[in-house]
Amino acid sequence: MSEPVLVILMPPGGDGLSNAAAEALGAGSRLAGLSDASLVCAVIGQDIAAATTEAAERGVDRVLAADEERFARPGGDLAVAAAAAAVEQSGARNVLLLGNADALELGPRLAARLDGASLMGVIDFSGSGDDLEVTAAVFGGAAHAAYRLSGPGPRVLGLAPAVAEAPEREAGRTADIEALTVPAVESRVTVEQAPSADEGPRLEDARVVVSGGRGLKDGDNYDRIRELAEALGGMPGASRAIVDDGWAPAPEQVGLTGKIVTPDLYIAAGISGASQHMAGCSNSRVIVAINTDPDAPIFNYAHYGIVDDCLEVLPELTRLGLELRAGR
Amino acid sequence: MHIVICAKQVLDPEGVNGYALWGRLGVDESGRSFDTGGSTIPHIINAYDEQATEAALRIRDDAGEGNEGDVRITAIASGDPAAADVLKRCVAMGADSSVLVVDPEVAVADGFRTAKLLAAAIGELGDVDLVLCGRQGSDYDQGAVPAVLAELLGSPLVTLASDVRIDGNGDGAAVRVTRALPEGEELVSAPLPAVVSVSNELGQARYPSSRGMMAARRNPPAERAAADLLEGDDARVELMRLIVPDVQGHCEVIDGDSPEAKAQALMALLQGQGMFDE
Repeated sequence: MSEPVLVILMPPGGDGLSNAAAEALGAGSRLAGLSDASLVCAVIGQDIAAATTEAAERGVDRVLAADEERFARPGGDLAVAAAAAAVEQSGARNVLLLGNADALELGPRLAARLDGASLMGVIDFSGSGDDLEVTAAVFGGAAHAAYRLSGPGPRVLGLAPAVAEAPEREAGRTADIEALTVPAVESRVTVEQAPSADEGPRLEDARVVVSGGRGLKDGDNYDRIRELAEALGGMPGASRAIVDDGWAPAPEQVGLTGKIVTPDLYIAAGISGASQHMAGCSNSRVIVAINTDPDAPIFNYAHYGIVDDCLEVLPELTRLGLELRAGR
Repeated sequence: MHIVICAKQVLDPEGVNGYALWGRLGVDESGRSFDTGGSTIPHIINAYDEQATEAALRIRDDAGEGNEGDVRITAIASGDPAAADVLKRCVAMGADSSVLVVDPEVAVADGFRTAKLLAAAIGELGDVDLVLCGRQGSDYDQGAVPAVLAELLGSPLVTLASDVRIDGNGDGAAVRVTRALPEGEELVSAPLPAVVSVSNELGQARYPSSRGMMAARRNPPAERAAADLLEGDDARVELMRLIVPDVQGHCEVIDGDSPEAKAQALMALLQGQGMFDE
């Protein structure tokens, strides 16, 4: 039996685990299986009883729970301290994090603090012990790279979305639950204004996403994207290029450095299909591309393509979408 | 106020992207470099680092006319001697000077080694108030350098900045940062010295003037040897091999006499698949 595998979760209070968190337990279980190790999960948050129970029911052997008010939205210094405490208390060598904006900071800081190494955007792993090989996307998804991590401290792996399936939930299954002790930490970064609490639908959960790129020709034409998204009961998205141009707001960016979406239908209008963008939408069930250039890379990924000016195609799609809804 | 910008030379990701999309990207015999059939993909400055440079220059612009001298900007990089090009770019944009850590290991994928070298070089500069980095390298997309640097320097870290300003001066000086997070903008502040990573939402970096480019030619980077800054090779992240995944083209092109006809054919097809069923 080798050192345990640790999955660190910082769930919002009150609820069970998100899909991504449950999938991380699946990845942890697979990684533990590679080296005959046990699976430990640290749950750090406030009001986390439901999440703790679910972790146990999804096959975790031991849960380290830190249920305190100060962990309601742990970030920066506090998140690093809590994660470092979890690594030390668990004795884990391999540590998994959910790959989100927080992990981009937490992963390498945790590794540096404990004299280990980290890798973000992990899509696969194989081997065990010192021969563990970890794969991640590089060059915005144009290629992959296999790495080995070394150092006296832990190997911290930030998971890309949908790397593993969530383990089946076995009602009533229990695990050893112990309190995780985190020393007092004074956070040096002060949050003066948090992102406006947006209770609306999330782009990541939308069944239909309609995205626009530079082929819209003008920022005002992003309205055509919004109109079609609304007509189809979906949400608007944007390429990084038009977010940089200020045509669309940053939270609507789809891609490696934006949102990663997996809708049933993804319509890309006037988007060339750079790997950076495709890394955010290539797992959509059906991809439709509308582009004037028949050689645009987006057609390599799309299931259906329209070679034409998206500004002429979008209004008709919107009209048909509205008609369809009215007919219901 | 002394600002350090950390810059990296990267294989142009758009070039790699282009070869990949046209099916002309391979991997050479070493397994660790791309093979593009004899043609060369250029090396460029990591675009996020160019935006970090822009953030530093905006802080100097904010200091106001006549006060530019109060804000000193030093660009640093580690890599092979050719990486001097990215530092020249930073100086051409407006940085005052630059330092190149020449590293024969050229561990392009090991942000931990890079951060240790940069931290040592920053330590030698002494009086640094603010370190600005790009959010991640656009080659290996890891973003380890700013995070590891903050740990090594013992400084607070703020990631994903779309706007960076300095508040106050002397002991009470702080950096105020707008962060571009997936859920929206967040406004934070941290005492100096601090490390801040800059995201693409900061906006377009300025283009060097011809006067700036002339100045950069006369002002080459000071060189430091990696071996003098870091004992042993201390590798943490080793690149074993590159893999080029297959991109399968299976696109069904929707035909029609007009844009409207194509739209109608597409909608009928999607509807036939039950896409819009409740």
